[in-house]
Amino acid sequence: MTGAELASMLTAALAAAGEPEAEVYATFAKRGFARFAVGELGQHMQLEDPSVVVRVARDRRVAEASCTVLGEQAIADAIRTAARTAPSVPRDEGFPGFAGPDEPNPLALARHSERTARASAEERVELLSPVFRRIRAAGLLATGVLDTTSRIEAVATSHGLTRSYESTLATFKVWALESAGGSGAAGHGMCAHVDLGALDLEAQTELAVTDALRSRNAGSLPAGQYDTVLGALALAELVEWLAMIGLGARELEQGLSPLSGRLGQRITAESFDLMEDPLGAHAFAAPFDREGVARRQVPLIRAGVAQGVVHDRTTAARAGVGSTGNASAPGGFGAGGPSPSSLVVQGGSAESVDELIGGIERGLYVRRLHYVNGYLEPRRAVMTGLSRDGTFLIEGGKVTKPIESMRFTDSLLEALERSDGMTRALTVAPNWWSAGGSVAAPAVRIRGLNFSSGSRQK
Amino acid sequence: MAAPAKARDLCSAALRRAEQHAQVTHVEVRWLSEQSERLRVRDGAPDGISSGRSAGFSVRLIASGAWGFACTGEAAEAAVHRMVDEAVAIARASARLSEKPVRFPPRAGEVGEYSTPLEIDPFTVPLETKLADLATPEAELRRGGAPIHSAEAWMHWTAVDKLLMTSEGTDVSQRLVYGGVGLSAIAVGSDGRMQRRSFPGFPGSEGQQGGYEIVARTGLMAAAPRVRSEAIELLGAEQCPEGVRDVLLGSNQMALQIHESCGHPTELDRALGAEISLAGGSFLQPEDLGKLRYGSEIVTLTADSIAPTGLGTFGWDDEGSPARKAPLIERGVFVDYLSSRETAAALGRESTATVRADGWNRVPMIRMVNVSLEPRAGSLEDLVADTADGILFDVNQSWSIDDLRLNFQFSCELAWEIKRGKRVRLLRDARYTGMTPRFWQSCDAICGPEEARIWGLMLCGKGDPIQSMAVAHGAPPGRFRKVEVGHT
Repeated sequence: MTGAELASMLTAALAAAGEPEAEVYATFAKRGFARFAVGELGQHMQLEDPSVVVRVARDRRVAEASCTVLGEQAIADAIRTAARTAPSVPRDEGFPGFAGPDEPNPLALARHSERTARASAEERVELLSPVFRRIRAAGLLATGVLDTTSRIEAVATSHGLTRSYESTLATFKVWALESAGGSGAAGHGMCAHVDLGALDLEAQTELAVTDALRSRNAGSLPAGQYDTVLGALALAELVEWLAMIGLGARELEQGLSPLSGRLGQRITAESFDLMEDPLGAHAFAAPFDREGVARRQVPLIRAGVAQGVVHDRTTAARAGVGSTGNASAPGGFGAGGPSPSSLVVQGGSAESVDELIGGIERGLYVRRLHYVNGYLEPRRAVMTGLSRDGTFLIEGGKVTKPIESMRFTDSLLEALERSDGMTRALTVAPNWWSAGGSVAAPAVRIRGLNFSSGSRQK
Repeated sequence: MAAPAKARDLCSAALRRAEQHAQVTHVEVRWLSEQSERLRVRDGAPDGISSGRSAGFSVRLIASGAWGFACTGEAAEAAVHRMVDEAVAIARASARLSEKPVRFPPRAGEVGEYSTPLEIDPFTVPLETKLADLATPEAELRRGGAPIHSAEAWMHWTAVDKLLMTSEGTDVSQRLVYGGVGLSAIAVGSDGRMQRRSFPGFPGSEGQQGGYEIVARTGLMAAAPRVRSEAIELLGAEQCPEGVRDVLLGSNQMALQIHESCGHPTELDRALGAEISLAGGSFLQPEDLGKLRYGSEIVTLTADSIAPTGLGTFGWDDEGSPARKAPLIERGVFVDYLSSRETAAALGRESTATVRADGWNRVPMIRMVNVSLEPRAGSLEDLVADTADGILFDVNQSWSIDDLRLNFQFSCELAWEIKRGKRVRLLRDARYTGMTPRFWQSCDAICGPEEARIWGLMLCGKGDPIQSMAVAHGAPPGRFRKVEVGHT
């Protein structure tokens, strides 16, 4: 099925149901997912993710129904189910109606690769074979994922708006482990691209092997404040959490967001710029949201000043602004309101991570983070989490030895206030809770990051 | 409840198709159909009223000594044949990378049916009734206005029908019905400080097996005035001071403590390295079985898939292993894992029957069932009275634990300071932290069965692609000596 065929199906279902105020959003993802662990390809899967979500409004009473059958009859039935429910729902005075054909057209973004879409089980095995060999040759254990996903999505409303899109995404994540179960040294590599052929599996595997080998016999450090270089993936994870707790209009309305009451004020370092940029080279998302609204660039923090949050049509109507094209896809994690799809932290001037490390007399280099949680004190963006897959002591501007996992607890915004360097280059990481979502971030140097626990001991 | 005839016919067709492939040595075919409903009311207005249906088939098989998995949402013979052929092709391709063939222990087939006992089918209750049951307590939270800034109440219901048929002759049908209800209030002070109070647990997380009777049992309306006043009181409370104190965990927070520091590290796939790509590993390694002192003598934790109302209760797991109750930690010693047939066999053990998938289009894997702390004796108030200087934590606010499940830090909405056996004041932004075995070894009191209840956790994430599973924990309150506490 093509995106255009899916859109036609939605339009036909809307016509068959005959509801005057209705919206249908449908997606179908086909994923070839090769998940390997401890040198064995134990979960190699062909996955299908169909989803149809309809909304029907009657006199501003809005009800939603969903199904997983991509067929005109089933979708029309879902519309009728929502229509039966709507009269019982209290009126939502802020409901602006569903989008119509006057909604501006989204940009034509090419995010589809035939090679990714057609990748077979044999091809994934072929690509993984040298990965397994390299890691085994280093005396380590290979763990990770090679995911080749093709996806179509479409939106149609009873007011005549129709959108469709086809995209692909290939993702490779690899760990080289000293021992099964993760209790020894570990190294990690990751890359993602629309085109499977553009992934550099060899380079990422080499990175994982190198970090695992230099992480052996890790020492320990006490709790305290350390000048720290956070790798790009570590910063990306913190920014993902910032998005979850505070970059959507819903959190702003509820008073939960660190931006609540602070729009127009400086909330972090002047060097920090954060943008929702679904149109740029670092994004994977469709150019429209589930309401059919074109996605666009949205400055969120510029030169350290809080600029705004992302909106869907309903929160935008309440705020008296336009939707930014960020209606959340159903079924995602988080509070359920609008959320960013494609975050980009602007890079700095450092040519490499080593350059950032060179500016630290004694401190830490943290490659990745684990189990970050940002619900501690959302208004200050206080977060906690652990380092993993490479934590290193920096002495005299150089990495000198590996360190066991440590826990940080700090306000992200206050920590960024103390940042004094970022790499020019960004790393883009797909997020794990929404299709097409991503964060692109540089590595960053933060002065005096608060590590609330010393290295773990069994 | 028996599965529909069409689903059964198509599962049979898939089994027959697999038998035509000479390389196939084991086949499991699943059909799963899910009906769901979600309702939320926020600040006096509806905030998402939705219903959903999802159904489809999957096959997991061993061919040429390797696993293959495929699925389809299409209820047609050609589609399930294609699904089986894809799974076989995947297994054959994967076999080229295998160093050793999958060792999957045989077992006799199981035949039967299982249904959640319930008094009121939640899908027969009118929407108007459900919305009124949310709107009234939600309005109560907002009564009096500021400093209550926002309030919400929610409800969710799910019914899962599933059929498992295997090449071993297993043929089991199950119907699981569960749901939950809750509310929360957000207070914002004049200084911009914010506090949230939730009931009965973390927003959106609570659930139990059963029907609409859960709503009356939970009692939102009775709880709303207390939730509102505690949210306001917390705005003026002092921060939890840093230090080392005795820590009491209320039942709700004990459930989260069990989940993160016992449930996850006892998952055998994690311990063997299969979950590194998202969730991490485990400090509990096979050589520790029967030796490692996980907790004090009074700590016994079980994997229980038969407890009434638990979200981890069923008739059979998704590999056809029958439900059971077995110790994981016995009198403080680590004795077993949450396991599957394949992982248990690798240790020469039997599966503890914990394998589940969160939908028709995901591979089944080891998941928590009802991982529960065995109660001892006494009430929470007895425990408070017996504590000279401590803090009682309850209702989780944030959670974080390292990739081996050792170093944890949890913060709670509620923290009562206890002095000389009495609760003296509420503290805000309170957290406690520790290392799992040392923490559980410091446990010197666990309350009795009258204080224990089974808490559901609706959104336990694991796997890649991530699967969200409903699990549960029987959790009496307890006390832990000399724990590091502080504020966020």
